[in-house]
Amino acid sequence: MQGITAISASIVAQRLASGMSQRELADRVGTAQPAVARLEQGSANPTLETLERYAEALGCEWRIELVPRAASDATVERYKVGVDRSLLRENLKRTPDERLRSLADWERSDRELRNAMRKARAK
Amino acid sequence: MTQLERLLRALHDVGVEFIVVGGVAARAHGSSRLTDVLDVSYARHPANLERIVAALKPSRPYLRGAPPGLPFEWSVPTLRAGLNFTLTTRVGAIDLLGEIVGGGTYEDLLPHTMELTVFGRAVKFLDLPWLIRVKRAAGRPKDLETIAELELLRDGFE
Repeated sequence: MQGITAISASIVAQRLASGMSQRELADRVGTAQPAVARLEQGSANPTLETLERYAEALGCEWRIELVPRAASDATVERYKVGVDRSLLRENLKRTPDERLRSLADWERSDRELRNAMRKARAK
Repeated sequence: MTQLERLLRALHDVGVEFIVVGGVAARAHGSSRLTDVLDVSYARHPANLERIVAALKPSRPYLRGAPPGLPFEWSVPTLRAGLNFTLTTRVGAIDLLGEIVGGGTYEDLLPHTMELTVFGRAVKFLDLPWLIRVKRAAGRPKDLETIAELELLRDGFE
């Protein structure tokens, strides 16, 4: 568990999976839409009671476990330096469904490129 | 309809019990990496094996990388006799994983899944912490960039 970031990501994922808007979730929780937005952006510090209300509203329950922290991996840390964060930001603006549809679009483009290359080689 | 959509629909629509893991799950969690293969963990009880065979039969599964002509019968006994299958089909590549290094069986992974609606279907995906866990356990160099992305997505980044 990585604190508020993981909690926020979990709430966003479950809300999107339920097809709920932030306003609808806010109504169910008994709060205002901007409060939901702040929580989803990771800029809130919710109490356990608040988190319970969100779980209830989403038809979920929290599963929190304490596990030994994974040892950091120097190789992975080096790779993180090179990660294009702008691509991650763009993906995070999409729903999981949109992310997979984008992957499927790339898959289609990839097939076209392979076919074009095959045709070019055959000439 | 794309290959990924066809494969997911085929499995979902006959009620196969499966969890999306691997690169497609990474993508669903926000990774920018592309993948050619749908990796799924599947339940190995007899009814599910029958559903898997029925779901993929029209796509003519064959062992990926096997020499053409090698006898391969797509059937419940074949699935029962093996565990992990790397397959090519007419609608794309799929890996059926009866057990995953660092994650175990379908039943072991089930508590660590989340349901997402994709292509109009509710599908189980491995959650982010466990996806990182199994990718780390696999220890494949090709996963290092994906792990780096997934950990940034998990921990947050500027």
